[in-house]
Amino acid sequence: MTRGTLIYIGQRVLLIVVTLLVVSFGVFAAVHSLPGNSFISEHLHGAALQAVLHQYGLDRPIPVQYWDFLKGAIHGDLGNSFVIQGEAITPLVLRELSVSMELGGAALIITIGIGMLFGVVAAMRQNTWVDYVLTTIAVIGYSVPSFVLASLGILLFALALPDWTFSLFGTAIGYPLRWQGTYGDIVQLSLPAIALGFYTSGQVTRITRAAMLDVVQQDFIRTARAKGLRSRVVTIRHALRNAMVPVTSILGPLIVSIIAGSVVIENIFGIPGLGKEFVRSITSHDYNVTVGVFTIYALLIGIANLGVDLLYTVIDPRIRY
Amino acid sequence: MATTITAPAQPVTEYAGGTLAREQVSLWRDGWRRLRRNKLALVAVVYLAVLAVIAVVAFFWTPYKPNAIGICDTYAPPTGAHPFGCDELGRDSLSRLMVGTQVSLAEGLGTAIIVLVVGVTVGLIAGYFRGAVDAVISLIINIFYGIPALLVALVLVVLLGQGLLNIMIAISATIWMDMARLVRGQALSLREREYIEAARASGAKSGKILFGHIFPNAMGPIIVQATFVIPVAILTGAFLSFLGLGVPPPQADWGGMASEGVAAIRLVTHIVAFPSLALSLTLLAFNFFGDGLRDAFDPRQKR
Repeated sequence: MTRGTLIYIGQRVLLIVVTLLVVSFGVFAAVHSLPGNSFISEHLHGAALQAVLHQYGLDRPIPVQYWDFLKGAIHGDLGNSFVIQGEAITPLVLRELSVSMELGGAALIITIGIGMLFGVVAAMRQNTWVDYVLTTIAVIGYSVPSFVLASLGILLFALALPDWTFSLFGTAIGYPLRWQGTYGDIVQLSLPAIALGFYTSGQVTRITRAAMLDVVQQDFIRTARAKGLRSRVVTIRHALRNAMVPVTSILGPLIVSIIAGSVVIENIFGIPGLGKEFVRSITSHDYNVTVGVFTIYALLIGIANLGVDLLYTVIDPRIRY
Repeated sequence: MATTITAPAQPVTEYAGGTLAREQVSLWRDGWRRLRRNKLALVAVVYLAVLAVIAVVAFFWTPYKPNAIGICDTYAPPTGAHPFGCDELGRDSLSRLMVGTQVSLAEGLGTAIIVLVVGVTVGLIAGYFRGAVDAVISLIINIFYGIPALLVALVLVVLLGQGLLNIMIAISATIWMDMARLVRGQALSLREREYIEAARASGAKSGKILFGHIFPNAMGPIIVQATFVIPVAILTGAFLSFLGLGVPPPQADWGGMASEGVAAIRLVTHIVAFPSLALSLTLLAFNFFGDGLRDAFDPRQKR
């Protein structure tokens, strides 16, 4: 690693820290300035309500409360839930994060797999019907909302298939309607992961196609062909490798949009992940959890973006920071 | 001093043998000409025009009152009287779909306008003044890129309340960055042109240079970007409604209707099907239209 790389990493880490501070304070101040809190439903009034607020430290000024939150967060303690009595947020959020990462990871693999395959094939068959079909599928991909795809999948695999498929093939074909266990199994994971991954695959298809078309016109490809290399070798070893740089550039935004999409998908399929928790926390005024989940997401995205930037230098050694 | 992008209209240079030189046309007419050749984009335009008509008609007339309960049986399947069936509360789905058109279009167009105003202003300022201003604005843009859009929108909707305008503001807050970054880049390159230097030398104020000279010359990419904001905004709005934080009930909107449909998916399918179809087709149309516009106005950019 050169000195430039280290300085670059240092700058990026600084940006992550600044982002975390700004985001957590913004969300903290926002949710704590909302009218109403999670204790209203307990029929507390006057002095009793004040006592509960005091117990949770909610009667203090917001900057003081935030400072307390920050001190805890640095030590890995995101505080306690207001709604689920005595539940510490850090272990809760970490468990849900692992569920979400399982789903998001599967979706990312599907996105990149489908996207790059479609993109390469479309570019190789430029301006033929194959190209038109694949690019149209890409547009459909980012036009159809993920919950539409999800309900289509549920209809097809969980409801339309008759009951006897369950007994004949076990759960291999029949899709269970209710999420089972914390992590589910590969059959359960397939539908939400496809619904989530298909949306972003359209963007990957377009970028890959454009990048491939750009690369195959260059001289070194002609040289490779002139050397007598087989077409498949040229496509995969020479063209695809160079086409991967632009694809890598959208990997960061891709991860962000998969995270956003998982909020909806987890709620449809009842997957106990971070996205479902976030919606629950915000609708039940469990604001400590809201702030915690938000902070974790911001940290995750910061690390992912840094990782993607470093991945650049691996894929394309010409890039230096 | 070229202040606008429209070239002076000149007559076709005709000779005895026919047209020799290509007719000089404005950017707009040239773009429109190229757009007309794109069949998919034209179909999309027609569909969107029909949608706009439906939205306007729904202000004055719907087959039934969209929020009237008990007009027909709960979950009644599509029939002649109710071609799109009825929902959980016995409301006519066709009427609700028509009203939902207004919400989706308003969310899309309203957000695009907000993003246009904010993104263009911020981008022009960052790109033209550079230095510390640019550094601060770029930092803010980077921070916004670092948080998932839907979560920001959810928090903002809860913070501001579930009104239509608030929802537009919340969605704008999650997608203004692309526009700002695009305009910043345009401003960075355009500010070095001779005509900008000439304008500065002749004593034009910064505001005049930004909005009178740089903005019009960056118009093509800005418009293309704005059309891509629309489907993203409609989609985000539908997600918000789907999660129960969209326009407040009983107001009908496609995302909320799809959400009710998913809840009832084990019983009936028509409730989830029609709003989902409407949303998907509309988003497809806006995306095809946007692609067509980009190919027409920004031919250098590769797909």
